[in-house]
Amino acid sequence: MTAPIIDVKSLDKFYQSYQALYNITLSVEVGEFIALVGPSGCGKTSLLKILAGFEDFNSGTLKLEGKDMREVPPSERPTRMVFQKLALFPHKTVFDNIAFPLKIAKRPKIEIDKKVRQMLELMHLKEEYLNRYPAQLSGGEQQRVALARSLVSSPSILLLDEPLSALDVKLKKSLQAELKRLHRIVGTSFVHVTHDLEEAMMLADRICVMKDGHILQIGAPNDIYYRPEHPFVAGFIGETNLLPTKLTYDENGANFATPGINCNAPIVPAPQLATSLDSNQALLMIRPELISINANTTKDCQMKGEVTEFFVKGATIQYRLRVLGLENEITVDTPSTAEVPISVGQAVRLDFDLNDIFILGA
Amino acid sequence: MRIKNITWTDPKLQILTLPLLVVLFLFFLIPFAMTVMLSFQITKYYQVVWSWDLTTWKDVFTHSYYWVIMARTLKMAMICVVLCVSLSLPVAYALVNRIPSMENHVKILIVFAFLADAILKTFGWVLFFDRSGVLNGFLEMLGFGPAASDILFTPTAAIIGMVYNLLPYTIFTIYLSMARIDRDLIAAAYDSGASKFRTFWEITLPLSKPGLLAGAVLVFVLGLGAFLEPKIMGGGTAPLAAELIRQTFETRVNWPLGASLTILVIGIGALTLIFFGYLLIKLTKLQENTT
Repeated sequence: MTAPIIDVKSLDKFYQSYQALYNITLSVEVGEFIALVGPSGCGKTSLLKILAGFEDFNSGTLKLEGKDMREVPPSERPTRMVFQKLALFPHKTVFDNIAFPLKIAKRPKIEIDKKVRQMLELMHLKEEYLNRYPAQLSGGEQQRVALARSLVSSPSILLLDEPLSALDVKLKKSLQAELKRLHRIVGTSFVHVTHDLEEAMMLADRICVMKDGHILQIGAPNDIYYRPEHPFVAGFIGETNLLPTKLTYDENGANFATPGINCNAPIVPAPQLATSLDSNQALLMIRPELISINANTTKDCQMKGEVTEFFVKGATIQYRLRVLGLENEITVDTPSTAEVPISVGQAVRLDFDLNDIFILGA
Repeated sequence: MRIKNITWTDPKLQILTLPLLVVLFLFFLIPFAMTVMLSFQITKYYQVVWSWDLTTWKDVFTHSYYWVIMARTLKMAMICVVLCVSLSLPVAYALVNRIPSMENHVKILIVFAFLADAILKTFGWVLFFDRSGVLNGFLEMLGFGPAASDILFTPTAAIIGMVYNLLPYTIFTIYLSMARIDRDLIAAAYDSGASKFRTFWEITLPLSKPGLLAGAVLVFVLGLGAFLEPKIMGGGTAPLAAELIRQTFETRVNWPLGASLTILVIGIGALTLIFFGYLLIKLTKLQENTT
């Protein structure tokens, strides 16, 4: 395995007395696509600016390509940034915008011309745009020009500061697909900041979920979705069921007891236990689509409940249920059918497998 | 909300600008027309004689003395523009980028200096530059001997006074342009590998151009008409256009000649502005073609 291209260790960042980042440790492999996700004010943009060199940090280390980056200005780092508001130079043509980093690096004219045209092709931009000014392009085209400017000098790390957040849904979707394609083609490491976890799941190899200046969890999209280490991570994407649970340990492993849930042997399979568990008070998580209603075959665990509401969501139907002995309402997603098979007030049996649950710290 | 494109044919706009148009018409266009008319008359025994001939203009074009003064005035105004712009650029840059916490304090200081009466400030400079003034006292203290600097009552002193009094115009127009530049553009240039100087040259300076040009035009026009500083600090050995016109009207009581000299200054000023405007457009086009 090669050395990580981004290596952040125990990094702290203060703005005067306010601590923006706490003990950040993060490493990114060559060619990896990592997403920094979190609500606004979580420190993801601060971290990105520290990577780019626009902000310094108070303690810890930051290495890019194995070299210590403290005191190294943005212009001498192997990073390029795509800004949230794109920051295209309004007084320069598309050609001059894209060519800017190459001109700064004093590349020969022929090479600049060739590379700009390559970028144009890669970004599916039309040749005639070269002589236009940024204000004469549409939002999506401006995005592509900004990406082209950042990628033209083949940086080893591309930093993206929520560049898609200002776009309408349709354009956003198409540019997300574009980003993924680009990442595969250019092989640059991408660090993508977004507050949209769905976008992060779609794009990234790994996701780093942040909140209040802390990294809560770093993992592949599936880890984040099915094995969240923190209730915030569990609730951050989609809907989920989090039920308070008591854990007891014996020679078979961890037993859980949740009122309202009956299992043949309530032993949590070892991979389904969060590593961050530190007390007997825990949360049992089960995703709505992993619970079946009135299934023909019984699974490891059962609940008995009553439908209180349902929502037809298109591809799925979502039920809200009250379960005997449970305070929380349970949410269940089932594949959609032409007729809603279950009505409000109906008593149903819910089944799920022990392999589908996850136990995390409360 | 949509912002409507308004043209000058819009009746509402016409009504709103009517007071201004009336003022300009009454106090600029009419006096200007009267000045033009006056320049075609002659004087006899200190009286304007209604004649409609070119005697006065012949007088203007045959005396090189007037043209020397015009050329000197133009030169002074241009030196003022160059000095004001080059001194204001670092000040505006510092205000926006280097001392944001002191920005308002410094701005207030500049406004105070600007609003202080120009005559007072100019005489202040006289005291500073005088043979036994502050500067020479200081130089003597450093061991340069008595009256080491003797620039008062020279064109150099006049330039210093003019630049000092005109500087706030360029500082503020350039500052306003620079402050409007999106910080991300500067960051993007650094991020692309550009040095601070390169960023200033490629991003900050071109985007400050509107303020820079506005300031330069203001200083140029005001510099052409400068009267106070050349008179008080320049020493009268090398008079400028404003002083010449004042003398023509007041001392020589030759109003038609004064009027034609006034038209001449306005004409030279306008032609210079047109020439540089044209040159600028040419240069920008050239730059766009080469890059």
